[in-house]
Amino acid sequence: MNGSPSHGFWAEAWRRYRRRPLAMAALSFVGFLVAVAILAPAIAGTKPVLCRYKGKLYAPCLGYFDRRLEPVIFTKDKFRGEYPRNLQEKDPDSWAIWPIFFQDPYRSVRADEWPGRPANPSRDEGRPSRMNPFGTDQYGVDVLAKMVHGTTVALLVGFLSMGIAGTIGIIVGALGGYFGGWVDMLTSRITEIVMCVPTLVLILALVAIVDKPTIWKTMAIIGCTGWTGIARLTRGEFLRLKSSEFVMAARAAGAGPLRIMLRHILPNALAPILVPITFGIAAAILMESSLSFLGFGPPPPAASWGSLLNSARSNLAMWWLVVFPGTAIFLTVLAYNLIGEGLQEATDPRLREARK
Amino acid sequence: MATYLVRRFFLAIITLLAITFIVYGLARNMPGSPLTVQLGEVDPSRKLSAEDQERLKEIYGIDEKTPWYVGYATWLGNLARGDLGRSFSRKQPVTTLIGERIGPTFLVSGISLLLTWLIAVPLGLYATARSGTADERGTSLLLYVLYSFPTFVAALFLQIIFAVWLRGTRWELPLFGMTDLPADANWPTRVADVARHAILPIVCQTYVSLAWYSRFIKANMEEVMRQDYIRTARAKGAGRWRVLLHHAFRNTLIPLVTLLGLSLPALIGGSVIIEQIFTWPGMGRLFFESIRERDYPTIMGLTLMFSVLTLLGQLLADLLYCFVDPRVSVE
Repeated sequence: MNGSPSHGFWAEAWRRYRRRPLAMAALSFVGFLVAVAILAPAIAGTKPVLCRYKGKLYAPCLGYFDRRLEPVIFTKDKFRGEYPRNLQEKDPDSWAIWPIFFQDPYRSVRADEWPGRPANPSRDEGRPSRMNPFGTDQYGVDVLAKMVHGTTVALLVGFLSMGIAGTIGIIVGALGGYFGGWVDMLTSRITEIVMCVPTLVLILALVAIVDKPTIWKTMAIIGCTGWTGIARLTRGEFLRLKSSEFVMAARAAGAGPLRIMLRHILPNALAPILVPITFGIAAAILMESSLSFLGFGPPPPAASWGSLLNSARSNLAMWWLVVFPGTAIFLTVLAYNLIGEGLQEATDPRLREARK
Repeated sequence: MATYLVRRFFLAIITLLAITFIVYGLARNMPGSPLTVQLGEVDPSRKLSAEDQERLKEIYGIDEKTPWYVGYATWLGNLARGDLGRSFSRKQPVTTLIGERIGPTFLVSGISLLLTWLIAVPLGLYATARSGTADERGTSLLLYVLYSFPTFVAALFLQIIFAVWLRGTRWELPLFGMTDLPADANWPTRVADVARHAILPIVCQTYVSLAWYSRFIKANMEEVMRQDYIRTARAKGAGRWRVLLHHAFRNTLIPLVTLLGLSLPALIGGSVIIEQIFTWPGMGRLFFESIRERDYPTIMGLTLMFSVLTLLGQLLADLLYCFVDPRVSVE
């Protein structure tokens, strides 16, 4: 009773998390990646962020998110993706706000596409230069632009596949832990079977089944194979909490099993479950880039960091195809691992007591 | 004990049946068949005519008329007679193929596991002894960074350094394969050549597990160091290293020993990615190739082996646990 207001569990955990500089640095790095992913078309691209053409305002850069978002008028007027010259020629009164970095993630920039700018070098001549800070790949596509646009994939893979894995894992674990008996027997057995098949074996087999691999299917596959650890942990937490007094009280008050599981047990079990989910995000990003690296990823135009590494394998003299995307993957994985560790230290009371 | 083993055995059989059933179903439902994939990729003109395909499919017993679960039953029947079948693409019995690949994989993973233990245990102890000091924090951070470093990125970095930048110097290391020598080379040069080829794969496989193991050891040591008996040992005047080794480390052996059991599948199963990057002729690469070639018998043989190893490893871990900790009983 020292008079200071008592904080909730999460506020307390956040306070403790904030004290760890490395974990905070990792968190801001992920924030930076989110910003890069959202602003990717404005950072690197050859399509104007905003332009006025024939009296109307357009945002052609949205075409990088989805082809259908690119205004039809530019296709009709036969721009063929080359905006700077065409804008000037077809409407001298037009103006445009350009991306910070004039390079395209899907094609090589030609000579004078931007007035006075040389064409991208291709093959092993594309070493880092002023025009291409991270170099270009075999076909002359800029590596930095590819990496900026590949950030979306790296982030989505982590969030979506762990979202899937977390959902499956929590449902399976919660059912087994709460109901026990034959339900537990069944769910534990299923978990064990999935656990026994080496992850990469299962994923490679699943990816091979999918006829046309897309990034979404890869995410779904990673999610559907990565839930076992979460399920086991959730089961343990539910098993522990279901006999606690507050659950007994809720049951006495007439709450149904679903309500008890969702409203009473899950919020109390969430902290320890979040830790493996965060580590799982790192593992999922690693898995996606390994798959792309092995050539099992989505087909070429899709920009993923792992596929850049794959293209480096045919010519190792192009070291810039390894160093930059490799470092990006490494830093992202490291960031998520650090966040997971910070979360663990901030929420696990056993570790907290150890520090005293 | 006997009843426990029997129960474990039957549970393992059920698990194995489920795993092989699922993987067989997956394998048979992949687009393409061993006949079309393999020949079509090498040379489009060598694609089989429809009649030839039908004829071959009948010979191999993979025609579409019989559903895949019948094929699974056939595979299971052959397995019961100790026959894993013949590889479609390599025209060799699967057991021979696996036998050929175990050696190279074990060479890399065995040495790597040994190195890991030899370095990780002293490192973990050192980190506990110097816990909280600047040099311990530096080492721990470095290990953590290493742990997050993706193997395939590290492998590519090493390849660029040792095979491209250092080409022509005496530090150059070979990029691919296990040996460049003809089969009739005498054995000392052969051993030296294989060793040179194995260095990079071994380094890649070691550094990740090294980081993981030493962190694991340190975490366990910290847990033990908080126990009352450590305080007692200190109070009675035992030296610092004696407390660390004799009183604390011995008690962390239990989780370590179970870890040894769980590393069994990786020891023989190898790493798909490392073997693929270095074209090392091991089990992981065989699995990768068999998936690409839709070589059903090989996929199944390897899956069966991986799963048996995983289950055996778990059993071994549990048994070792009882062995090192008499308080725990299998019943």
